[in-house]
Amino acid sequence: MEPTAAVLLALSDQTARARGCDFLLSLQHADGGWGIAALDTESGWMTAWAVRALVEFPEARAAVARGAQWLLATEGQRISDPDARRIIQELHKIDSALGGWPWQRGDAAWVHPTALAMLALAGTGEREHARVRAGVQYLFDRACPDGGWNIGNPWMLGKKIPATILDTAVALLALRAVGEGASDARVSAALRFSRDVLAGSKTPAELAWGTYALRGWNTDVGDAISRLNALQSADGSWSGNPLVTALAMLAIGA
Amino acid sequence: MRDGNLKIENRESKIENGLSRRAFLRLALLTGIAAGAGVIYKSTEAVGFERWFRWMVRGNLARLFAPNVHVALAACASYDADVHGSLHAAWQSAVMPDLRGARVVIKPNLVDFIGDVPCFTHPRVVQAMIHLARELGAREIVVAEGMTFRRDGQAVLDATGYAEMLEREQVAFVDLNYDDLVKIPLRGGYTRLKTLFVAKTVRDANILISLPKMKTHHWTQISASVKNLFGIVPGIKYGWPKNTLHFQGIPAVLAELADSLQARACAVVDGIVGLEGDGPLFGNAVPSGVIVAGADLLAVDATCARLMGFDPAQIDYLDFAAWAGIGVIDAGKIELAGESLARFQRKYEPPPKMG
Repeated sequence: MEPTAAVLLALSDQTARARGCDFLLSLQHADGGWGIAALDTESGWMTAWAVRALVEFPEARAAVARGAQWLLATEGQRISDPDARRIIQELHKIDSALGGWPWQRGDAAWVHPTALAMLALAGTGEREHARVRAGVQYLFDRACPDGGWNIGNPWMLGKKIPATILDTAVALLALRAVGEGASDARVSAALRFSRDVLAGSKTPAELAWGTYALRGWNTDVGDAISRLNALQSADGSWSGNPLVTALAMLAIGA
Repeated sequence: MRDGNLKIENRESKIENGLSRRAFLRLALLTGIAAGAGVIYKSTEAVGFERWFRWMVRGNLARLFAPNVHVALAACASYDADVHGSLHAAWQSAVMPDLRGARVVIKPNLVDFIGDVPCFTHPRVVQAMIHLARELGAREIVVAEGMTFRRDGQAVLDATGYAEMLEREQVAFVDLNYDDLVKIPLRGGYTRLKTLFVAKTVRDANILISLPKMKTHHWTQISASVKNLFGIVPGIKYGWPKNTLHFQGIPAVLAELADSLQARACAVVDGIVGLEGDGPLFGNAVPSGVIVAGADLLAVDATCARLMGFDPAQIDYLDFAAWAGIGVIDAGKIELAGESLARFQRKYEPPPKMG
């Protein structure tokens, strides 16, 4: 699911795109969501990828609308009990009453699925929806103290947990898509974090995600593109991985 | 006379409502049994009486009749010492699975990298295990892990020295977060999950060697071979940090994983330098100089707990899994081989309490 959705965003070949579109449509569940693959009958975070990828296909309009509805009806568990909320605040310095998106229904919200859902819903014209605005609040609450994002735990028992370039990239892409600006201190800190880490990144996935996000914010990426190009395999892929290859293409602007 | 006495006694013991003492005692006994059964039924409602009863019977049978299990300890002063020699000694002393012709999956703990904190299995121990598995005739060897906090496994492999080591050894790494998936039924019933997606690489392995770091952990008090099994659960389905499993209850999930895999799993623990205090990511290094090996995952973890100065019976996941008969934590049922436990015992700082 995920590689196909990413490839649809990166490829321009119409035949391949039509095939990818058909494939994604064939995997949609009756509840409007998508699982990770055909054998997964439970809808989850892949719904965001599918909606984001299919939004450009007129023949997928109904499927996209049902997928967006699934996303809007899905929320990570929010903690309302004051004692539990206080304990979580002490442990992680986060507000567990804020609503984001979970990897799958029944779980807590996390940065990556929240950002992907925001990206998808922004694509369907819902960037002002209350759930999307709540997602912005959620992401800002989960920002790491030194800039950027990790999975969604900026602190653990008084210790900082470092941000990662992948989580930061997807959060930055989402905030950009819903209209947030670089004037916000948390956004500028995340951009700074990404630039700094990208300068030393060696893996294709980090370089691709980081470059894609920074370019989305019109931020200088230094020599990241040439380093990413240097990692391309003879077969044209990056690491033989369709997801990473699609992201690298998006990052380079191919 | 005797009958007469009885009659007199019975008459005297009659209580106001006309019940004899014997009948009253019988009734009281039956009421007590019914009340006891009611309490048990009520207290086991969450998991179901039938399951509770099955686990309880299996656990008691195991405690009474199961043979002793073996765990071996071998000294290894540092990662620059003869790790392979120590590992070989531990493997030979413990009663370990036959690796001849086997497809072996070595599963280290690569939770993350945080500066110089020794929170992950040292690559030299994994390298030694690769060499040993080859010597013991393994047909195929892969190293596999599904990192908990980072989607980009390659970044973790680079930062921890694994990428270089695996390249040198020409051994493939499988990122279990993105492996082909298979859905397996969960027969234990310890969680509400009826099925679980696992990586195909793990499902197809003849032998899974859980090769963790010996450390403290703020959720489970200690982390060793059983907690290390969290890494086989694919992030692509359950996300990062595999939160679904936390929601099911960590001891229950660990029981499920251990029960599902115990038959073809064994453990080797990197206790050369352990981690105390705020594990699994932070905390302080503790040079313990030991490698622990065994085929019963719970027995290995219980031994690690004792090496770190903890009582295994006070560790929820060990206590529950042993009670359910998944493995052994009772020191009287664990035959230690190789070096003595006392030689390596340290008093690890416990993890901070959560909440």
